[in-house]
Amino acid sequence: MKKQLIELRVNGRPRELAVEPSKLLLETLRQDLQLTGSKRGCDDSSCGACTVLIDGVPMLSCTLLAASCEGQEITTVEGVSEHGALAAIQKAYGDWGGAQCGFCTPGFMMTVKHLLATTANPSEAEIREALSSNLCRCTGYSQMYQAIKAAIEAEQKGMDSLSQQVAK
Amino acid sequence: MVELRSTGKPRAAVRTWTSFMTDFSIIGKPIAMVDAAEKTTGAGKYTDDLSLPGMLIGKILHSPHPHARIKRIDTSRAQKLNDVIAVVVGADAPNPYGILPVGHDEHALAIDKVRYIGDNLACVVAVSEATAEAALELVEVEYEILPAYFDPEESMKAESNLIHDNKPHNLEKDYHHTFGDPDKGFAQSDYVTESRYLANEVTHAAMEPHSTLASFDIDSQTGQAGRLTVWSSTQVPYYLQHKLSLVLDMPMSQIRVIKPLVGGGFGGKSEVIPLEIIAAVAARKAKAPVKITYTREEVFWAHRGRPRTIIDLKTGVKNDGRITAVKARVVQDGGAYCSYGVVTILYSGALLGALYDIPNIHYDGYRVLTNKPACGAMRGHGTVNVRFAFESQLDEIAGRLQIDPAEIRRRNLLKPPCITVNGLRVQSYGLPECIDKIVERSGWKSRKGKMPKSRGLGIACSHYVSGAANSIIRSDMPHSTVNIKIDRDGGVVVYTGASEIGQGSDTMTAQVAAETLGCALSRIKIVAADTDLTPIDIGSYSSRVTFMAGNATMRAAQEVKKQIASAAAKKMNCAPEDLVFRDDSVFKQSTDHVGAGLRPAQEEQNSASVSGRVEGQILRGSLQQKRKDEGPKDSMSFEEAVVATIDFHGALTGTGSYAPPLEARGGKHKGGGVGPSPAYSYSAQVAEVSVDEDTGEVTVHKVWAAHDCGRALNPVSVEGQIIGSVWMGMGQALTEEMVWKDGLLMNPGLLEYRSPSSVESPEIEPIIVESIDPEGPFGAKECSEGSLAATIPAIANAIYDAVGIRLRESPFTPERVLAALRAKKNAKTLDMTEGVDPTAPVRLREHGGALWFKGKGPERHELDPARRTEGG
Amino acid sequence: MSLADFKLLRPRTLDEAISLLAPQAGEGARATRVIAGGTDLIPSMRQKLFEPEYVLDIRQIAELKGIRETEQGTEIGALTTLSCIERSSVLKQHYPVLVEAAKTVASPVIRNMATLGGNICLDTRCLWYNQSLTWRKSCGFCIKKDGDLCHVAAGGKKCWAAFSGDTPAALLCLEAEIELAGPQGTRRLPLNDFYTGEGDSYRRLQLNELLTRIILPKATADLSGTYRKLRIRGSIDYPLAGVAITLKCLNGHIESGRIALTAVNPAPVLVKKASEVLQGKRLDEELAELVGDLAAKTAKPLTTSALTPEYRREMIRVFTKRALLALAN
Ligand SMILES: Cc1cc2nc3c(=O)[nH]c(=O)nc-3n(C[C@H](O)[C@H](O)[C@H](O)COP(=O)(O)OP(=O)(O)OC[C@H]3O[C@@H](n4cnc5c(N)ncnc54)[C@H](O)[C@@H]3O)c2cc1C
Ligand code: FES
Ligand code: FES
Repeated sequence: MKKQLIELRVNGRPRELAVEPSKLLLETLRQDLQLTGSKRGCDDSSCGACTVLIDGVPMLSCTLLAASCEGQEITTVEGVSEHGALAAIQKAYGDWGGAQCGFCTPGFMMTVKHLLATTANPSEAEIREALSSNLCRCTGYSQMYQAIKAAIEAEQKGMDSLSQQVAK
Repeated sequence: MVELRSTGKPRAAVRTWTSFMTDFSIIGKPIAMVDAAEKTTGAGKYTDDLSLPGMLIGKILHSPHPHARIKRIDTSRAQKLNDVIAVVVGADAPNPYGILPVGHDEHALAIDKVRYIGDNLACVVAVSEATAEAALELVEVEYEILPAYFDPEESMKAESNLIHDNKPHNLEKDYHHTFGDPDKGFAQSDYVTESRYLANEVTHAAMEPHSTLASFDIDSQTGQAGRLTVWSSTQVPYYLQHKLSLVLDMPMSQIRVIKPLVGGGFGGKSEVIPLEIIAAVAARKAKAPVKITYTREEVFWAHRGRPRTIIDLKTGVKNDGRITAVKARVVQDGGAYCSYGVVTILYSGALLGALYDIPNIHYDGYRVLTNKPACGAMRGHGTVNVRFAFESQLDEIAGRLQIDPAEIRRRNLLKPPCITVNGLRVQSYGLPECIDKIVERSGWKSRKGKMPKSRGLGIACSHYVSGAANSIIRSDMPHSTVNIKIDRDGGVVVYTGASEIGQGSDTMTAQVAAETLGCALSRIKIVAADTDLTPIDIGSYSSRVTFMAGNATMRAAQEVKKQIASAAAKKMNCAPEDLVFRDDSVFKQSTDHVGAGLRPAQEEQNSASVSGRVEGQILRGSLQQKRKDEGPKDSMSFEEAVVATIDFHGALTGTGSYAPPLEARGGKHKGGGVGPSPAYSYSAQVAEVSVDEDTGEVTVHKVWAAHDCGRALNPVSVEGQIIGSVWMGMGQALTEEMVWKDGLLMNPGLLEYRSPSSVESPEIEPIIVESIDPEGPFGAKECSEGSLAATIPAIANAIYDAVGIRLRESPFTPERVLAALRAKKNAKTLDMTEGVDPTAPVRLREHGGALWFKGKGPERHELDPARRTEGG
Repeated sequence: MSLADFKLLRPRTLDEAISLLAPQAGEGARATRVIAGGTDLIPSMRQKLFEPEYVLDIRQIAELKGIRETEQGTEIGALTTLSCIERSSVLKQHYPVLVEAAKTVASPVIRNMATLGGNICLDTRCLWYNQSLTWRKSCGFCIKKDGDLCHVAAGGKKCWAAFSGDTPAALLCLEAEIELAGPQGTRRLPLNDFYTGEGDSYRRLQLNELLTRIILPKATADLSGTYRKLRIRGSIDYPLAGVAITLKCLNGHIESGRIALTAVNPAPVLVKKASEVLQGKRLDEELAELVGDLAAKTAKPLTTSALTPEYRREMIRVFTKRALLALAN
């Protein structure tokens, strides 16, 4: 099939690409843009390893056509770390054992990022619910809850010290 | 059980996280995995993330029939399709292979027969995935359908149309073991009970689908294809190298296997999986790099999971609960190839021992071939299903004798150090502490028997090997070897063949090396699992890495440490034995080492003041100079000590290896090589569940899991492994099951094969018990598998406690639970079998729809056993 | 598993969509497919269940999104996502049963993509159908796609794939109507008339038509209601059986009640007799039991999914009874 020229905004940058209309966003990210952080764990849209943010909302990149995403802001796991350093949630996942084999982790990073952006102080039940789109086969999820709580604390502390500085 | 002379070592010390801060500086600390950042940023590369210039994509054609002879295979139409580069078939690589030396029954691609739906027939190599997929449709195959076998007990009766011609009655292997005098044991008992248990088939479902990339170099001398490099999602790079050499007829020295990050294994990548061989054969034929990544469905066909197991178990006890004898008959539905099968059926028998003191054991094990994907090793290899039966039966016995289920377990404890009746040596044994801990934490004494309606508590125990004492290839070779190189930059490079698969192997290696050398963790760089660079390690399976590769790492580090000590001692005018290595410095034992915290800071200042603007080598030179001027010191930084050593000795390298001690290698009986381990981990668990009596739905509220891991080298990791094991056990107990219709897997995807989501995953409280094993590195043992087996019976026993039904078939799906509840109440029964294929053997129909899913299904031969029993 | 090639059409307005759809509609396996959230269509296309020549992507059509209160009731654009429905305060307040059903669909991330229109149009499901091409080949295909035999039904001449959307059960209880737009203009019909009851040609949607709006009548606003779903996991799973109930009670007596089932028949179905039986009665254990039996009789599950049909039917009975009693309190 003839390729088609499309423009995607990925992690804040415009990228011009030639892709087949049948190409899935996940394949485009991994093969055409070498953004291999997003993973393919299944073929029936059930595992969440491919989750990315589309205009800030988590969606399955294996279930979207790349060409359908023109004009939207796509954020992948490669766009999560900040200024060359780990974001609080990434650091916390490492510290608390939220990632074992790490294959599901990029997907979780995206859903958790969205959770933290939309829910100020999520309860345990809200965290569980928010994580329930992504399958992890290693961790049993428990240590992820600790990581998320730690990240929230770290961010709040960061905010506090920032506001203190500002106050001074 | 033969008691060994006591070593006088104090009994296991029970510790929890907070009390870990012992005399170690890195061991016992909850640190982030060394590769955590790669994983959380997505920067880390798994095999499918790799690509090479000119790389092609391979797609495999799979058999649509469970058992058929290949009459003709014609690839010409596929070959003609645009952008198809090559089509590979069985004749391209006819040498057989298999993970076990006794089971070389697989081929890269089928030669004359296919043996299960999903068996590998041909591989198309093309420029893109879509083209390769399209070409698969053009490969023409003509089959002669053969009668197929799906039920192991039917399969064992087969006289003709065998799955493998050299395996009469489709029996892969059977073992009959008698230890002690079981007849006498039963005669002496006061109470005997016997039941049949059935554990349905489950699979690893690691999140990363298998992937392999193979590429040939061009040899400069010959100008022809030369060495082969294979990147693969494997737990066993060295076995892969070996099997590639067999199938491709190439010397091992010409093959390099590299293991990138692996997205979970659980045993599913612990042997050579068809795509790994096929990719290499395809790359050879296509004369270009070839990558094959399985679809999720192909992962299910590759399988190698836990076989459906039928267990007839009989236990005899005295009135006080002491076990006098155990008899087990175990039949495993092994699938179409041997895989690890011979080992699995042996583990199932051997691991009846080493948990409790059982004086008399009789074991009959049958590993049977059937026309389904091959089963192999899965987390808790061989022990899980039998443990489900045993712990359930023990619970039943406790109830019958009116002994508390925790107490009956205490009454049957081993008295280590000892050798069990079946020849297993047990040294460290934290089981008693594990039981104490969970009884205490779960409030067992005050809550058991007083739970609200339909809610209950159940207890169970389990254990597992810390590596097999005998490798699958019989040899005297060390099981792990580790090299360490330290250069003038003060960087410590550890070369280990151990395979990180998410369990934390690289982190363990770094911790052990840093602790032994007393250097900062940041100095350690791990080079792992690359057959060109790293010395041999037989792989990540049977929970062997921490114990074996950990010991090898420690020994390699000790060797370099010795060299550093001798150089540093000269500098400090003391004996090497007087030196302490700690906190990135080397100092005299006699000196007051002023707190761990202070030193590095001082050091920083120190080097800062000397460093000025000079860099690297010059800095060290000037540091040396400064030291010389100042005369002997009481301490040196690690880096200074290293530079001093290199100045004296030249390059600083060390090697350490590990082979299990002879005493731990087990009895002399046939099959006695499987089961022995240098050390066993122990686990005890309490599960709290509730059962909805109208729907049969089971909710697990909490699991308390105490696990004796010897010493917790990294408590976060240990807890993660315990939780992960318990959680996976819960999956097998409640939601996971491979559902078949005549060899056709009805649920080959993550939507229908139900690995639990976060919503129904309960709180799991991991409790670390440290028994400090005399031979483990820093006393460490296994922590990644042993806990799984206890979870299934703990849940089963809790269901009994809640609603009074004994579930002897796993998983405990709501329909099975409800059927049992209705039967117990004599209420309007739910006929579980109404929907079952009426042509299925009657015996199997008892169990509902799972194995014999109703429907027409694949074409069948008229002589098929299932057809013969039609209507019967 | 890659998708077969197709041409992608991305209209920005409904009119444009209709004008693109009409001439390209095609037929059979190659017929044009409308894609909304894609959470049903894309996995099916990967399994080669559909190999359309054209795919019409309607995601950009703003006029199909959103929830609006009108004279007649509440209108929901077909492209409105299920997570939007979950969060809608209007719906939470007036049509809680729909919100409850929407919340149980798939997983939170999928609900960010999944649309209400897609949920209504959802293809029927069966373990013999929702499989890869290779898999389906190994059992000679099935009557719904490429074959001529149903594997699960006696006789095998009719398709029994189960309709497995959650929200339509709730929508049936709310007497929802839907609006379809085609080259001849729009037509409106009760949702109940949209489904045929056949597993293969399960919906009455012309190839050149689009579902545009779902209308919830004023009359069914503010009913108490609930949705119960049988699934094995607490997330991700499709329903294996589902029961939606709405009740209007006055002084402890039922003025009107409706019960609808999903995932146990080739269409979501109303339990017709239930409304008659409930009307004017006071809800007690016995009545709940009776209605539960009625519901179970309406359910015709076959081995199209996990868990045995007997069990699924039994759960329809248990869920119905329980839900009724819960609503009565
Ligand atoms: C893992 C997984 C789990 C799931 N679990 C559930 C579940 O629990 N419950 C449930 O109900 N569903 C479930 N689904 C299915 C699906 O997510 C939902 O039904 C969803 O609402 C479908 O909406 P969509 O917009 O994504 O549909 P699409 O895939 O875009 O479309 C579905 C069908 O409807 C047609 N269509 C869509 N919109 C229109 C329109 N406006 N006009 C005409 N035709 C249209 C399409 O052509 C297609 O045939 C699940 C899906 C997945 C992948
Ligand atoms: S890859 Fe599994 S949901 Fe996208
Ligand atoms: S960490 Fe391995 S799958 Fe989640």
